[in-house]
Amino acid sequence: MDWTPETAREQRPLPADPYDRWVSPQGVCMAEFHRSGGGYLIRFPYQCDFQLDQDPGGEGFRIIGWPAPDCDTQSVINLFHNAIQPILGNHGGGLFLHGSAVRLASGDDESQAAGAVAFLGLSRGGKTTLAGSFAQSGFPFLTEDVIDLSHREGSYWLQPKRSKLRLFADSARFLLGEEFEVGDDELKQDVEAGGTLPFARQEVPLRQIYVLGTDHSAALKIRRLSLPDALKTLMPHAFILDVEDKPRLKGHFARMADLSQDIPCYALDFTRDYAELPRVRRAVLENFASL
Amino acid sequence: MQLTDRFTVSDDVVAREVGGEMVLLDLNSGQYFGLDTVGGRIWTLLSERPHDLKELCDLIEAEFDAPRDRIEADLLALAKELRDQELISACAA
Repeated sequence: MDWTPETAREQRPLPADPYDRWVSPQGVCMAEFHRSGGGYLIRFPYQCDFQLDQDPGGEGFRIIGWPAPDCDTQSVINLFHNAIQPILGNHGGGLFLHGSAVRLASGDDESQAAGAVAFLGLSRGGKTTLAGSFAQSGFPFLTEDVIDLSHREGSYWLQPKRSKLRLFADSARFLLGEEFEVGDDELKQDVEAGGTLPFARQEVPLRQIYVLGTDHSAALKIRRLSLPDALKTLMPHAFILDVEDKPRLKGHFARMADLSQDIPCYALDFTRDYAELPRVRRAVLENFASL
Repeated sequence: MQLTDRFTVSDDVVAREVGGEMVLLDLNSGQYFGLDTVGGRIWTLLSERPHDLKELCDLIEAEFDAPRDRIEADLLALAKELRDQELISACAA
């Protein structure tokens, strides 16, 4: 979907407190959700204000985005693709989760046995680097931040998203070599897929979900989650527009319960050290092959 | 709390049986709760329509192999817990 932001404007104080916030594990507010007229205003501090207004007579939303001063256009477009679209997708009855995914294969016949695994986790939890590590090893990535699932014919089809990985400088150098030119060390940058980091352009059925642990020094371990634990674990990784819209929340809960029953879900702990990634890949591949 | 007390489930709770456990999500607090097989059955019965606790005891006694006094004690304890968590509420007969 093509979309372009408006001209930049100041993020002035809003008249009321937000009804919801996204807060990072470090306690930083990443997004505020406000009611605005008959629609919503989602503020990403220092980045962009998005106004979402329901189309008159339609199911869709009209989306206007005003970048904050000094926020680059690409960051705003990334927010649109990685936050606004999945938020609206779930609001409309879809199934979108925050995570990366790669295409794996088991057995000799790759075309028959191919399936996707998804890696869910908090921001800066290692999802993109892990997906990039698989891609570097020949397993194409499908998405780096948004799991978009289409449920049909008894499978959850994982849709390929943008053919880019958003990487911090150290991860980009690890995946692409020390000679890779990086910009700001503190900011993620887009790295286009290519020969070193292949991208899967066709949808693939989702076979497994891995939820990355929050202890970044934990030893490598894969543990199957019980169905109730899987449901409770998956729910926070979804994108929700309106936490006070109870009918929609009930529908979303039901879809997530179906997903947790149909797709095996695992807790994945590992030390966040680039040297560990080959072992992590092997463990995931062995677990995938055991399906 | 008495066996004649009548309860209904909260509209703000969504429930789903997965893996033998009834998972409840309180939409107001975002808190999850889990009920075992018998607790899940009680939740299902209460979801269908309001019941008093004596009616629930009768139904559970007919479906599960357990002594009546234990069913009553367990049900009173569960109902108190669910009410304290505002997952169910008392209602008129």
